[in-house]
Amino acid sequence: MKLPVTLLIRTLWRSLLLQASWNYERMQNMGVLYALSPALRFLYKDEDLEEAYQRHLTYFNTHPYMSAPVLGATLAQEESRADGQEMSFSVEDFKSMIMAPYAAIGDALFWGGVRPLAACTALFFAGKGSLLAPFVFLTLFNLPHLMMRSWGFARGYVRGVSVVEIIQRRRLPDVAIRFKEGAVILLGGLIAFLTTETCRLSEIEAGWGLFALPVVLSVVWLARKGLSTLFLVFVSVLLVITVFQVIT
Amino acid sequence: MTLFDYITVSLVAVICGLDRMAVCQVMISRPIVAGPLTGFVLGAPLIGLEVGLLVELLWLGRLPVGASIPPDDTQIATGATFLAISAAGIWNYPQPVTIAICLLVAIPLGKSGQLFDHMTRRANDNLGKKVDRFLQAGELGTVERSHLVGLGHFAISSLSTFLVVAGIGSLICYAIFPLLARYLVPAGEWLLLVFPLIGAAMILRSININRSVTLFSASFTSSLLILWLL
Repeated sequence: MKLPVTLLIRTLWRSLLLQASWNYERMQNMGVLYALSPALRFLYKDEDLEEAYQRHLTYFNTHPYMSAPVLGATLAQEESRADGQEMSFSVEDFKSMIMAPYAAIGDALFWGGVRPLAACTALFFAGKGSLLAPFVFLTLFNLPHLMMRSWGFARGYVRGVSVVEIIQRRRLPDVAIRFKEGAVILLGGLIAFLTTETCRLSEIEAGWGLFALPVVLSVVWLARKGLSTLFLVFVSVLLVITVFQVIT
Repeated sequence: MTLFDYITVSLVAVICGLDRMAVCQVMISRPIVAGPLTGFVLGAPLIGLEVGLLVELLWLGRLPVGASIPPDDTQIATGATFLAISAAGIWNYPQPVTIAICLLVAIPLGKSGQLFDHMTRRANDNLGKKVDRFLQAGELGTVERSHLVGLGHFAISSLSTFLVVAGIGSLICYAIFPLLARYLVPAGEWLLLVFPLIGAAMILRSININRSVTLFSASFTSSLLILWLL
């Protein structure tokens, strides 16, 4: 019994609410069930349906965007199960096996790579006072995000459990490192730009801005010693105030 | 500000707050979007953009991984934008000073967001227990709908954080603004540079790649020299 396309689209749509009831105990479990339930109701009836609901209310936690291929592959497995086909491993085992590595890839790629890269690019626009900044950020970030959601879901459904190999082949952890390196380079340019702008507004030579580098590196050292962002902000502002009180 | 302004800005805070964790996560919750959006509904998008830039850089390196709850930079951005626009309407200090004071007030108050977020997740734990009972009773429709109750919890959490930052922040601003501004005015633009510099340091500390400090230093130095010479 094949799932109709409308139900697949509905599952993908509902997966946007995956984390709506995120909890410490079983994390995204209710979100997974919420996304899959229309398809489960199509595939099973009565006691089988209750069993299926039970099956998907167990602990589940992965990166929200990477959940798309997992949900797609889970639907393919549920289809096979409803048809009474032999499976190499159960739906529960597949989900629990795949969620942690996918979470790690998603965190590194999207939170650690794409987001800083998109933000650093957009912040150049913000630094220039351009209201295009939010649009640049949303576009750069959401292109890979929405692609992963839609492409990942479709591939997961078509390929079933072998979707794992596709993700491996794309070498996403390496892509994440390249994105992070790109973000650090852009960050250097951005901080240089903001420093130069501050020098220009204060009518002093931009060359003095080079002193910002040892400041940043000192703060990195202090942060590695365990000082919090909040503390560093307040102390730095206090230092700036003191310096200017002495000067003026 | 009119009652309509208060309602729309609260609505923006809730919508952005839901995007942060519970719905879609298309990143309208990021300060660089939430700040200008708040500024836009209050008629001063450029103040929101400036606040968004500073808050974005400050916490760009913090990752929402697993059960960790990062600072609620979304409500800090919306709240600080609200405070800055309100303050600009009352006092006539230079914009960098106004924004700096509002950020210094909003950032510690934003810590309340972590508390509300923790409470929300606890409330969702109880929701999970209820769902188990509904399943045993065979109420499958209720099981499915219960998930959406969590959405309400996250909406209340976002609104509460915004109200703390904007409400208590307004009271603090009224109390300290003229007093603090007197000391901050001479520092001018340099005050706002503090936030990007610390933000950059925090990103370098948390970004997990080799040679991050070398790459940053090379990029910073070469960019600054080019900008200086041009």
